[in-house]
Amino acid sequence: MRRLRLLIRNELKMVRTALPIHLIAILQPALMYSIMAGVLVHPTFDVNVTRPTNEVGQQLIEAMHEVGSPDGVPYINPVLRGEDDPIGAGVVTIEETDHQVRAVYHYGLIDSNIVKNLRNRLTAAALRLWNDSLDGRAVTIVEHPWLPQDPPYNLYFGMAMLPMTTFLAAALIGGFLTAQEFEFDTIIEYRLSPISPTLVFFARLIRLVLMSWLSASVLLIVVGLFNRVWPASIPAVALILLPIALIGGGIGLSAGLMLRSSLPAFVIGLGSAFGCWILGAAFGLPTGFSSAYEFVSRLVPNSYAVELLFPLYYDTTIADSLRSILALTIFSLAALGLAALAYRRRVLIQQE
Amino acid sequence: MKRFRILLSTEFKAWRNDPITALGGFIPPSLILIAFGLLLGGRLSFKLAVIDHDQGSYGEVLRETLAEVESPFGVPYYDVLEISEEKTWETYHAYRIDGMWIIPKDFSTRLEAGMNPEIEMYFINYNDDRAKNHRIYSAEILWRFYEKIGQPAPPLALAEEYPRPEMVHWFPVIAVGVTLLAVTLGGAFNVYALTYKEQISGLTLEFGLAPHSLLWVLLPKTLLALAAGIATGSAFLGILYLWLGVWPGMYLWAVWLLFGLVALFWIALALMVGLRARNYMAGAIGAVLGALIVFFVSGGLNLWRWNAHNVNWFSWLFPYIYAVDPLRDMILFNAWPADWKSALSITGAFAVGAVVIGWNFAARKLRRMG
Repeated sequence: MRRLRLLIRNELKMVRTALPIHLIAILQPALMYSIMAGVLVHPTFDVNVTRPTNEVGQQLIEAMHEVGSPDGVPYINPVLRGEDDPIGAGVVTIEETDHQVRAVYHYGLIDSNIVKNLRNRLTAAALRLWNDSLDGRAVTIVEHPWLPQDPPYNLYFGMAMLPMTTFLAAALIGGFLTAQEFEFDTIIEYRLSPISPTLVFFARLIRLVLMSWLSASVLLIVVGLFNRVWPASIPAVALILLPIALIGGGIGLSAGLMLRSSLPAFVIGLGSAFGCWILGAAFGLPTGFSSAYEFVSRLVPNSYAVELLFPLYYDTTIADSLRSILALTIFSLAALGLAALAYRRRVLIQQE
Repeated sequence: MKRFRILLSTEFKAWRNDPITALGGFIPPSLILIAFGLLLGGRLSFKLAVIDHDQGSYGEVLRETLAEVESPFGVPYYDVLEISEEKTWETYHAYRIDGMWIIPKDFSTRLEAGMNPEIEMYFINYNDDRAKNHRIYSAEILWRFYEKIGQPAPPLALAEEYPRPEMVHWFPVIAVGVTLLAVTLGGAFNVYALTYKEQISGLTLEFGLAPHSLLWVLLPKTLLALAAGIATGSAFLGILYLWLGVWPGMYLWAVWLLFGLVALFWIALALMVGLRARNYMAGAIGAVLGALIVFFVSGGLNLWRWNAHNVNWFSWLFPYIYAVDPLRDMILFNAWPADWKSALSITGAFAVGAVVIGWNFAARKLRRMG
């Protein structure tokens, strides 16, 4: 035990030899989140409207102000413009013909996602006018949302970034440092060491886990400060992220051991961390996307970690926790097994 | 010229020895492209169950309306599931569907009598964007429902006009963004690959002592990395053609030109970092992760031209944002970008500035080491 302690202390001391790498691995995801959170989806959209000259147009503007969530978040910010102003993303003009008054959306682009958002908002505002004119024949939709309030999208996005952050830090640091042992020939020390290889391996993993927890903590604090929402239990978050750290560490160590060069090991770590992140519920729960995406998301560990993190942030369960724990255990054992095999092949067999 | 040829061939041999790094611009963007393809390339409809207790006919009309109103994605807003009431509740509580509508038994009666008919909408709102979609999609459904059942005409009719006949979907927009990311990473990774071996084997010292201009060292590296960046981007253009059927056609030269200018910026940046003796990998990792951040926040995921006021200051510091929408014009629409001149001059200025500063900085570093 004392030997392991010394090894861990030595591993932690080695942070100083590659401080910039550690700082990047620890801080980069939080920086990325801070920048992305400013430009991610927001329910309020600017809708350009040519200054109306009739009563219906004025009523439409008033209705636009009313479209929003019960929490008070408006969905439309009507921007009044002159007739000769450029269209931009699109502009609504109120046009009168002999028979009817029309709100015509002149789109300046044909991006289906933006068109959908703009169209839906105009319809929602115009429907209010129609409902008012129908009196008792208007259909009312009584809302029963799943959660009492609509949490901001940034909260989900930040929560789903926690596993990616953990994975990235472990894979980057693990891959880079292991590859450097070959590049600077310090691997020979491991080969000649009388200590059990398992202890050396274990000490490095502990260091990777600690670093990835540190990286996740920085992001957790940034997400918390941004959204004013904190997980119900920090130790539970750490426990959920532990297998992710082991998976990232296992992949990083394997890449470093097999490729023996820092840059390719970095490519593998980077590719796997970002691939697993996007496939693993990065932008929304997989059930809300196509069945192909849902299927593939089952093959990456991040989805299971998000399922387990979800109750801590939203106070509601979305999946069978036991299944998620089992999946994460299998993934981490597989990654560790892979790293152990690579270690045996590159360090121990060469020693013999 | 002979010196240049020899150095170029040496660099080329070194480059061939590190295939994974040479593919650094290809592997991560490929994974990102596939992931986004799976995420957004499928059917983007909300899974919805309808429990229809209505004793009249309007409930059935509403159910039909839910299944038929299409979004600009070319698919209905809702995939209406045919499942029993018990199963609906079970599936909703297990979070297997996005929502459910319950039509009460007196819906038709109240509608005919003008007695404020109601529908109950249960929906998943774990983020405000999805909650917003449920609310505004329901407006589209009710609008069509009113038209179908012959309600009195609305006080304000709706119409739309588009600048082009066809709609472009989200995934192709992102795919072009990923292609430019691949160009960026292709250039950066390859210049790192070409300088890393020199760093760890101490060859930079020899460069520093060279009696000739260091341009002979920097030019082959820059050209090879530039070729790698453009080749990576071209490979992605091929993938886009096979996957999405889009191709720049006669504008290919202009696409390559923008690819090259954006790649040159990152290559010069990477050279500055790559030829520093200390903290080489930290610089490399920082630059590559920086390029990824730029992709995510600078128009990689959306058309930004009409949304410029929402672009943050950080994005304007890199050439990516100036090139990505003109590239979309050429690749997705085979159209000449209206802002071509400004795109070319800004990306050109970025490239020239970066190369001048990068080469100078790198040469000074090498000389100092020498």
